[in-house]
Amino acid sequence: MMISALQILVDAISLGSLYALATLGVGLVFGVLRLANFAYGDFITVASYALIIPTAGATVEIVIGRWPWPFLVIAVAGVVVILSLASEYFVFRPLRTAKPAVLMVGSFALGYIIQNIIIVVYDGRPKAVGLWPELGEAIVLSGLRMPRLELLIIVVTLVLLGALVLFLKASPFGVQMRAASEDFRMARMLGVRANTVIGTSLVISGFLAAVVSLLFLAQVGVMSFNMGVPLMLFAFVATVIGGMGSLTGAVVGGYIVGFASILLQALLPEHLRTFRDAFVFVVVIVILVVRPQGLLVPRAARERV
Amino acid sequence: MTEPLLQIDDIHVHYGRLAAVRGVSMRVDPGEIVCVVGPNGAGKSTTLLATVGVLPATRGAISIGGVPIAGMAPEKVARLGVSMVPEGRRIFGTLTVEENLRIGTYQRADRRNVERELKRIFDEFPVLAKRRGANAAMLSGGEQQQLAIGRALLTGAKILLVDEPSLGLAPMMIERVYDILTGLRDARGITLLIVEESAERALDVADRIYVMRRGLVELAGTSSELEDGAQLQQAYFGFGGEAEGIR
Repeated sequence: MMISALQILVDAISLGSLYALATLGVGLVFGVLRLANFAYGDFITVASYALIIPTAGATVEIVIGRWPWPFLVIAVAGVVVILSLASEYFVFRPLRTAKPAVLMVGSFALGYIIQNIIIVVYDGRPKAVGLWPELGEAIVLSGLRMPRLELLIIVVTLVLLGALVLFLKASPFGVQMRAASEDFRMARMLGVRANTVIGTSLVISGFLAAVVSLLFLAQVGVMSFNMGVPLMLFAFVATVIGGMGSLTGAVVGGYIVGFASILLQALLPEHLRTFRDAFVFVVVIVILVVRPQGLLVPRAARERV
Repeated sequence: MTEPLLQIDDIHVHYGRLAAVRGVSMRVDPGEIVCVVGPNGAGKSTTLLATVGVLPATRGAISIGGVPIAGMAPEKVARLGVSMVPEGRRIFGTLTVEENLRIGTYQRADRRNVERELKRIFDEFPVLAKRRGANAAMLSGGEQQQLAIGRALLTGAKILLVDEPSLGLAPMMIERVYDILTGLRDARGITLLIVEESAERALDVADRIYVMRRGLVELAGTSSELEDGAQLQQAYFGFGGEAEGIR
């Protein structure tokens, strides 16, 4: 009993970590651009497809996916960062002065375009890709089975969170990004370059999409043209729970959604497990009924009357 | 005649189809304190926001030291030495006091002066030094106003555009803020363009005054020219009535 509870806990922290990273990717860009980027899930998808040769055939030819991991991560992150910056330049920048709803619809359109390009180039069927199979093995510690991948996800998340906090608190870029997320116009009036701040947030967010994608792919072993969509959906749910615009809230929200998913998976009666996500959304609705503003609201948002 | 530091030439600014500023011209010479007074909705703040590039001027020209800046991005205008102390102060509440002060220093070409200037700000505003590590949201209104002024100065500004500095402050604090502002000109040679609702206060501190109403400059003159008040009152209210509040 104790062991299985610990097992569930590890699963929950691991899934929560994945969601926390995706939520941060969404939240960083939302903070600066006030853009709810619904194409983010498709950025995650593109990261996985970057590993293989573009072909509609049934056999998968892995190229980048065979590289040693540091090169692999850099290459995949590079692809997503370029996609992210190009999206800003061609889609979001022309819409920068438009209403947030217009930006949101624009991001939906972008997402569908990316999905359809993937279908055309790679074919719509899911492709099995074994990335880092050695991570599938488990470490057994006095009866507790911990898949290496889950531990890796947890460690990677902690390292990235630490690095991000350090970046935001201690580097000039980070301080400018925080200022811009709070009051973009004021930051510009003080000389903060709009494009630098937006670019930095897109680079970090793109990098996070790549990491999430690779870890997720290593876990499920199958890529498909809409694999990132559920991750994006949960990231948005987590953003809303945590409080729009708060990065701490994003992390907390990500873990809450991850924990809720795993706990429901473990505790729901078997015939209801298929509807697990519906129950997750019930939890979300309850949280929002109790605290419509989200759990953690940025102080600035609270004080700006 | 000296070259004006800031020259605004017949600018028009629209919010949608509504014209908020309809052909306003102003000049501010180096080392001057100029006040813009007028009732609510006169277009005073709009004029400042258009000057720093946050709102687009649909017509007209603006220049800083002879460099045309109309249509320039706000961050570029800031680098030419124009800085804003905005209405409501707009402090970054989630940043510390020191981070607020440093935010405008990262883009400066003369980075080596920054530490010395920061120290000077801390000397002149001891309350900011005492609370340099605190979240800026924890400061009182008066302290936030000092922070907003310090933050603007640290961008390396030659001219500060100050929008309603007395708004929401206790009378004693208003005195203190205006002492600070006039001190900036006297001790540092900073030029000031201040938007102020109270004509009386403007007469106290300004070298010259522009009176705006309904998007137009109704009257301009030196403080001594306008001192007797009748003309100023007429321009401010648009009639020769016996309204209170004006000398």
